[in-house]
Amino acid sequence: MIGCYVTGILPHPKELIDVTQSYDRGRASERELEMAFQDATLKVINAQLSAKLSYITDGMLRWQDLLRPFTENLRGTKMGSLARWFNNNTFYRKPVITGEIRREKNIVEEIPYLKYLPRGLPWKAILPAPYTFAQLAENQFYKDKTEFMLKYAQILKEEIKDLAKLGFGYVQLSDPALVYKSTAMSESRGELDTINEALRAAVKGIPIKTCLQTFFGDFSQILPEALDFPVDHFGIDLYETDFEKLKEYSFEKGVALGLVDSRSSLVENVDELTRVAKEIVNSIYHSKMREVFICPNCDLEFLPWERAEEKMKVISSLAKLLREEFYG
Amino acid sequence: MDKLFPAQEMGSLAKPVWRIKGYRGKPLSKEEIAEAVDWGKILGVENLDALVKLLSEGDSPNRRKAILEWSAKYAIRFFEKAGLDIVFDGEQWRSEMYEHVIRNVAGFKFLGYVKSFDYRYFNKAACVGRPKHVKSFYLDEFIFTKKNTKKEVKVPFTGPYTLVDWTFNEYYEKRLGGEVKDFKRRKFEAKRDFVFDLIKEIMRPEINELVNSGATWIQIDEPAATTNPTDEEMKLFAESFNETVKGFKCTFSLHNCYSNYEVLAKYACELQNCNQLALEFANRDSRQTGIGNARKGYKDIKLFEDYGFRGNYGLGVVDVHTDFVEPPELVRDRILHVVKVVDNPDRIYVSTDCGLRTRTWEISFQKLKNMVLGAELTRKALE
Repeated sequence: MIGCYVTGILPHPKELIDVTQSYDRGRASERELEMAFQDATLKVINAQLSAKLSYITDGMLRWQDLLRPFTENLRGTKMGSLARWFNNNTFYRKPVITGEIRREKNIVEEIPYLKYLPRGLPWKAILPAPYTFAQLAENQFYKDKTEFMLKYAQILKEEIKDLAKLGFGYVQLSDPALVYKSTAMSESRGELDTINEALRAAVKGIPIKTCLQTFFGDFSQILPEALDFPVDHFGIDLYETDFEKLKEYSFEKGVALGLVDSRSSLVENVDELTRVAKEIVNSIYHSKMREVFICPNCDLEFLPWERAEEKMKVISSLAKLLREEFYG
Repeated sequence: MDKLFPAQEMGSLAKPVWRIKGYRGKPLSKEEIAEAVDWGKILGVENLDALVKLLSEGDSPNRRKAILEWSAKYAIRFFEKAGLDIVFDGEQWRSEMYEHVIRNVAGFKFLGYVKSFDYRYFNKAACVGRPKHVKSFYLDEFIFTKKNTKKEVKVPFTGPYTLVDWTFNEYYEKRLGGEVKDFKRRKFEAKRDFVFDLIKEIMRPEINELVNSGATWIQIDEPAATTNPTDEEMKLFAESFNETVKGFKCTFSLHNCYSNYEVLAKYACELQNCNQLALEFANRDSRQTGIGNARKGYKDIKLFEDYGFRGNYGLGVVDVHTDFVEPPELVRDRILHVVKVVDNPDRIYVSTDCGLRTRTWEISFQKLKNMVLGAELTRKALE
């Protein structure tokens, strides 16, 4: 199959921005804020439906950053200072780990607006992957990052199981830290084994499809080791990944190709993207083609809402063209 | 400077209510006008009756322009009265460091608000055509400031790397569309083209006008300098600074804050003609007096020294994100600590970490006065 979906937090539409700003200045009530979130959620879900995406998210408008529901709701975690979100002009609140982390309730259950998600289409949930959460948190409690990452992976598994029970059919684990390269972060081959172990702890026996979504960095640097990770699909940021290196490998799992750039407002040329997608699919699947998804390279929240909406249409047209190419 | 530890602020100062509302053409209350008068008396601003008359009038383009001039004059007096050695107008004429430039040049279009963090957003523009200088955007404020002070004047100037990093790059990405196949390469090449066109078309023409009109010190503000801490990007940043300032008869400094100094230190020596690095340290530091261990916030100075930077430092000794007013003794000890590390007191300019725009005038005034007193205490301590 060739499908399409979004891969993260969607931008706040203008009406929601206005209300959140008023709320911040004490000029809007909790109730007005909540209503604005509900209206905007409905809007971003409808936009996904009218773009004909194959999996639907609630847009994650309440998520102030990828880690926030965990930062706020996990026992043993408190909210730390602002830190730069990789190489972006946006910031997140660092989770500070001060004690044994425990999940006392479903972390994200209260956040997704389940009632607005459509009945007839699969729902997709997005959560922080073990490595990224461990890298971005400030660990003041566990002996080392590995111990903390494995502990978080167990919690993640409980969370995913509950989401599956709620009706989600697909879960994406966002893992930018795994591929982002700077002077501060870089993982060795040995570390990749530990990451594999953590992913296994998080997704083994999960009844729904899982995707490890990498972004802000080159996926080819963690090859071939990553191909053994126990997930169904790999998300690849093609605005950061060396195409030629990627094409040297043979995949036996599905891929989510980040062919639309969430960090650029330029609306892509669909013909060019079709050509690139075909080349990649033909090179990485030697014997049998697996599931392919067309998606933005990262969260669309880096764009103003209108531009994000246009880009959703691009991924959908692209998926349609590719279906015609591959399946006639 | 002929004295040790000249004092400076980093650029912006909060805009008084009468400036904001007055410029928008909204009527002012008696209290708001009285506040203008009270500060005017504290700062020794002349001819306050004329200001009261102006603020009581109805909106007009002339009134708006006059209000900008008054608020610039207030900010200049504010810095003078606090005892600073280098002054500017607190960026009273600018809406904000990014928007002010983008709104005054051609080739850009604002696309709307995108998230910064929590419920904070910023209005982000896209470059949609080759950037073009249409009118000067810093010149009038510089000329006004120069005319209204006898102190040394420094012009804060938003740097090209930051402008590019904060802007969508549609024009150049599209232009390279067919040519560069690899998307990552294409984006970087497009960024390079954007940076150097911006320098050639906007930055240098503006600097040229400033220098021709008597500017002797331009502070290039680059908060985004270390946003992309790869070697390729950091080299682009250093090159962009060098290209911006190349050949001008003027002193240039670089201000960078809330950044990764481990990365910046490594490339500081590649900045040519950079007389001073103005950096933020106070917010990272403890509030206890003393030198040595108490000064953990200043440990990165050693990195710059170890990488061989030998220019001056704009040493952030005042934290702009808290109302805590640093006692002069704390300021003194921060300076004394760094004097030991750099081994030459001539290289230190005492500074705020960044612009004071998020603090009230009351707090800002006390902070600056104490900063100046702290510099004085340090001079005495070294006698």
